[in-house]
This record gives sequence, C-alpha cells and structure tokens, in this order.
Amino acid sequence: MINLMKKYLQILLLLVFVLASCHSTDTAKQKKMAIIVSTLNNPWFVFLAQTAAAQAKSLGYESKIFDSQNNTALETDHFENAIASGYSAILFNPTDANGSVVNVVKAKKAGVPVFCMDREVNSPEATSQILSDSYSGCVSLAKYFVQTMHKKGNYVELLGIVSDNNTWARSKGFHSLVDYYPGLKMVAQQSADFDRNKGLEVMESILQAHPDIDAVFAGNDAMAMGAFQALVAAGKANHVKVFGFDGAEDAIQAIKDKKISATAMQFPKVMAQTAAIYADAYFKGKRDFPKKIPVAVELVTYDNINDYIAYGKK
Amino acid sequence: MLKQGIKYCIAIVLVLFVLSQSVYFKKLSDVKAAANKVFNAPAYARNYLKTQLLPASKTSPDADQLIPMLSSNPGKAFKTYARGLAIGNIRYFMVQGKGQVTNVDENDVYVLTANKQTIKIAIEYVFGNALRDAPGIIDINDFANTMDLNNIAAAVDKIVRDEVLPPFRSQVKKGDNISFAGAFELNQEHINLASIEVIPVLLKIDK
Repeated sequence: MINLMKKYLQILLLLVFVLASCHSTDTAKQKKMAIIVSTLNNPWFVFLAQTAAAQAKSLGYESKIFDSQNNTALETDHFENAIASGYSAILFNPTDANGSVVNVVKAKKAGVPVFCMDREVNSPEATSQILSDSYSGCVSLAKYFVQTMHKKGNYVELLGIVSDNNTWARSKGFHSLVDYYPGLKMVAQQSADFDRNKGLEVMESILQAHPDIDAVFAGNDAMAMGAFQALVAAGKANHVKVFGFDGAEDAIQAIKDKKISATAMQFPKVMAQTAAIYADAYFKGKRDFPKKIPVAVELVTYDNINDYIAYGKK
Repeated sequence: MLKQGIKYCIAIVLVLFVLSQSVYFKKLSDVKAAANKVFNAPAYARNYLKTQLLPASKTSPDADQLIPMLSSNPGKAFKTYARGLAIGNIRYFMVQGKGQVTNVDENDVYVLTANKQTIKIAIEYVFGNALRDAPGIIDINDFANTMDLNNIAAAVDKIVRDEVLPPFRSQVKKGDNISFAGAFELNQEHINLASIEVIPVLLKIDK
C-alpha cells in the first residue's frame, strides 16, 4: 500500500513538474506585442506598423495593430485594451507629443514597456524612443532648397500636425539654414495636418492670396503631393518647385518624373525593426536602453533617385 | 502635573522636529528659474570647440591618407575613422591637411594636396552635424532633449561661420598654400567621394 502511494506521489510530482515546465514555456511564448499607430490613413504608417508586426513575428511573438485614427481618446482606449488583454510590450507611434504621455505613464504603471517609433512623446517614461533625425534631415533638404532656388524667391511652408514634435523639428531644421538667406521670403505658413487632401485644400487657398510663389516646402510627402495637385490645377506646376519629407512611394515616383524636386528619406523599417528587437531584449531582461535613438534621414533628389526605393534604400 | 507638562513639552518638541524635517521652504523665484532653465547651447558649443573639437582635429587623419583609404578600403576607413550619433548610413569623418588653392567659388575653396587629392572646403554652407558628430566625443545619453543636440550643432557651425570663415574668405585666392582641419559627411551604403565637402573648423593661409 505504502509502495503504491509512493508511486502515485512520484507520478504526481512528475506531473506537477511537467505542467510547471509547460506553463513557463507557454508564458514565454504567450508574450505578445501591441502595435499602436497614430493613423493607418497614410501608407507610410501602414508600412511602419506592418514592418513592426513582421519583425515581432520573426522574433516569435504574436502582435496586433491598433489604429488611433489621430485621436488621443481612441489611443487611450487602445492602451487600456492592450494592457487588459495582457500585451507585454507596446510598439508605439504616438498621436500627440503631450497628449499621449498619459498613455505611456499608464503602461509603465502596469509594467508594460513602451517603445516609441518615429514620433516622440514629451516624457522620459517611454522605455526608449527610436526617432527619425527630422531636424538634421531638413537641414540637408534646406541646403538643396537654397541651392535650387539660387538663394531667392517666394515660398510657402505647409506644416504637419502642430502638436507633433516632428512638425517643429522639421520646420526648425529647415529654417535654421534657409533663414540666413534674406532673398528667400516665406509668404505663407499653414498647417495641413500631414494630410494629402488638406495639403491640396490649404494650397488652393494660399494660391488665391499668393499667386506669385516659386516653391513649397511641405513637412511630409502626403502634403507635398496634395500641394502639387493644387499647383497642377492652377497651371503652376512647371514653375513652382515642391519639396517634401518621408520618402513615400508616390513622392519617389514624382521625383523620378521631375514633378517633385526632393524629399528626405526616413527609414520606417529601421525604426520598426529596432523597436521590436528592443522589446524582445526587454523580455529577455535588458533594461539599459538609450532613452532616444535618432535614425539618420537622407536627401533624395533626381540626381540620386536610382539609389532609393519608397521607405528606404535599394 | 509637572510630569505631564514635561511629557507635553517632549511631544511638542518631537512634533516640531518631525515637521521641520518634512517641510522645507524655497524662494518662488528660485523654483521658477529652475523650471525655466534652458540649455545654453552657444556656451556649450564654444567650450566644446575649444576643448574638444580643435584638439581632436589635430590628431585627425591626413586627407592624403584618408581619401585613398576610402577609395581602396572603405570598410576599414569607416570602421577606423567614421563616427555618428544617429543609427543609419550617414557617417562623419575628421580630417586635416595642407595644399594649394586651385579655385575659389561662391560656395567652396578647392585645394590640391601633395598627393594630388582635390579637397573641397565649404565657405558658404557651413551647416549640419559634421563638426558635432565627427570626433565621436558627445554622448547622446547625456542629452534628454533632442533639440539640445540640434542646437549644439547649429551653435558650433555658427561660431565657424562668424569667426573662422570671414578672415579666411576675405584673403584667400588661387595659388595660396593653406592648412585646414574639419569634418565631412559620407553615406556608407552609397559612397560618393566626389560629394565630399569639408566643413572647416580651422583654416589658415600659410606664408
């Protein structure tokens, strides 16, 4: 009888051990990443989100993409859902540099690390922020702008979302060089929210007040393409030079076709992959992440267009 | 009664001691000043240029050594000499050299070195991160605010534009022998040596 009990006990212990092993393996496998992006209404962000998901998958993690639709309230819902659903890390493209801070803080309190991609939050609570060096990219773009314009002419600046740090980093980088040339006069500066349709509408309205412009500097390619459409409709596309930022597919084609003068190529693939790799490293115990990592941005013009494809280098 | 009085006194002293340790006073003006404290990029840039950038330029590779190495063994050249704060393809090199001026145009001075390398030195567009990043001295983790780093690059470039370029630009002409030191940018995935433009930190017409 005692022997039988001993046998049962041994089997029970073995069973407990096997179950415990299974549980710990499952826990590792069950870790999953939430990918929360500002909008999926722009192909650039779709590419960013999909690349992050692909990288998470290649590292062995399940992931889900959440679209904040440029709405911080919706973004908050996504954070709450992600935390409640047991996501172990958030790869995050914020909607608003200040408005998104509360979500990052909430995740941190829940013990969920947040890795920002491309857009910045004004808080040290994010585990790490992998950001395009927008300012420096626009310094390079501005040098080309001044050279192409031969240091004189009237231009328009289309700003992105005014609450986004990238909007001002790009604008400041551009003006840090262009403003040294008094022959270049900015006749209008208006926000078009990084949106192509708004870029078209804002440009149409600006052209009513300032028909004699020579160039447009847009804070992203979507607005640049919208502005270009407005210029085509006004019969000014051949004269007015358009400069964008992003390296989006239509802008790259437009540079090849000599419709757009230049863009600054960001590397969403590098940012998305780095964020997923950092999350994986976090799961494995790493904690000393750099708070901010800039990713270099490259100038793309007709002269070097063959070295590039949309969203990155060939 | 007396005992109770002593007890109350001790209790009051204890409470006052605890309160004095948990509450402190600061001048409102001091708190506001601390909150509004902004990074002084021009001061940082001047100190950086004097104590770090110029000394680093004196030990930088000679153009007659670096440019041929970039041509023959770019991998080694990038690994040995390139620096940069950002991840990606843009890298920066420190360089120094001597040579004879072959041309001066609106934007650049062209110098022919002893080993027949033509070096283009910027005298108009002195902007960007080359002088900030090339020595590899500044640590990104020392700066929580990205704009502080941008402002350092802008402030270093401004010192060069305001103080290094004017005396040189007003005198330099074709045929002069000059010494130079500075930094340049290169894309490591698509190396174009013809695009090299040195952002100077030191320019001297040799007698």
